[in-house]
Amino acid sequence: MATKGSDPLELWHTMLGEMEKGFNAFANQAMASPEFSRTMNQVGGVAAGAQKQFGDLMERYLVAMNLPSRAQLTAMGERLQAVEAQLHEIKALLQQVHHNSAASEQTVVAMPRPPRTRRPPSSAGDAS
Amino acid sequence: MTAAPAFDLGAIQDRIQTEVQRAIQRSIKGVEYFASSGPTLGSTPKDTLNARGTLRLYHYRPLADEIYRVPILIVMATTNRGYILDMVPGQSFIEFLLKQGYDVYMLDWTAPTPEEKSLRMEDYVLDFIPDCIRRVQRDSGVQDVTVIGYCFGGVLSLLYASIFADGPLKNLICFTTPIDFRQMKLFSSFSDRRYFDVDRLVDSVGNMPPELILTSFEMLRPASRAAGQVQLWENIWNDEYVKSYRMFDRWANDTLPLAGEYFRQITKDLMWDNKLYNNTMTVGGRKADLGAIRVPILHAVAEHDHIVPYDAARHLIERIGSADKEEVVLKGGHVSLVAGANAIKRLWPKLDSWLGERST
Repeated sequence: MATKGSDPLELWHTMLGEMEKGFNAFANQAMASPEFSRTMNQVGGVAAGAQKQFGDLMERYLVAMNLPSRAQLTAMGERLQAVEAQLHEIKALLQQVHHNSAASEQTVVAMPRPPRTRRPPSSAGDAS
Repeated sequence: MTAAPAFDLGAIQDRIQTEVQRAIQRSIKGVEYFASSGPTLGSTPKDTLNARGTLRLYHYRPLADEIYRVPILIVMATTNRGYILDMVPGQSFIEFLLKQGYDVYMLDWTAPTPEEKSLRMEDYVLDFIPDCIRRVQRDSGVQDVTVIGYCFGGVLSLLYASIFADGPLKNLICFTTPIDFRQMKLFSSFSDRRYFDVDRLVDSVGNMPPELILTSFEMLRPASRAAGQVQLWENIWNDEYVKSYRMFDRWANDTLPLAGEYFRQITKDLMWDNKLYNNTMTVGGRKADLGAIRVPILHAVAEHDHIVPYDAARHLIERIGSADKEEVVLKGGHVSLVAGANAIKRLWPKLDSWLGERST
């Protein structure tokens, strides 16, 4: 095997790691400055505004093309979520009803759960 | 005078042969990488107990014959999906807890819809968490509940615990939970009140887009994504490496949007006014005093956390009113603290030994 010091791949990995650390440290230092914050927020604010305007324009374009917009698809998603939520509620109610009827008939419980009697291993050691 | 290093021709030939084989494997596996969908995550069997808007409450089916009396409710961070704690069998924190005999519930989040942009901290702390606690109590038949909060889920859990200090919390565990937001230096810089017009942003976009949140996380280590991709290419012959890379990469990119009003409150109350640290935090007019928390608490923090640096988290334990409190600093980063090989050998056993004694 090539030794660690003479292995070009090992050297490459070390260099890559050091470059990553160095660049991250340099960038973090630069980003901590108020100038960076001001510039980033100016650009970010403009970008967010532009994104909103672009979104509005695109929505009008999609309406003209008779295509669903993102907002409409999201609304559809919400309705599906609401349906799912109601299904969960119904399922939970059904389970509760089933559980109650099973309990009243003294038959098997719907979802048997393990007993809550577990002790930590340390307490077993103490007891012995 | 030192002797020049002798070149071992056989070793160099072996190395070249290995590298050629790996290059071939890279080409084959590289195609597979783009053609396949990656491992299935979050597959531990569970039932949904509640699905209400952005909220999901899951109950994981027990895997032990005998379980501890006190159930656990995990409160996930609102920016990310809960499957980071349930990656794949053998690397799942949830599966680990179940096998150790805990009864596990998780409060997880889906993307808030545009209609949920008005959700506030009050909704999370005074409604969602108490509602889930009640459901856990009803489902388990036990009044006591242990809460585990990860990252901002930890902040929400702390707020809940301090406001509902009279119970029914039995134990509180926080993972990498910040309280001194000034010490999250880059986030502080990004949200500098002199330049960051949070009102204008929230009023124009509604919910905070996930891309913006992801970008702000990635900006903390701007070179790491590129370096990670170089490393992926080098290791693409290694199935385990690729599997792990895909799991974490998918999760990291699966960032959730944040409800607009909630984000506005976080920015103003926590980032700007540092109210949690200054002990002036209120939620819905109710004071959140960390000193009021009297239950046993464990705070696990990561030595190399670039998102929540140690300085942002270190004052938590000293502010808590409990007599039974412990901070544990473990090797690792913000994510590797809770998931992956590092977590399996460090955090998980530590948590089990601490919590087992307090779960009977």
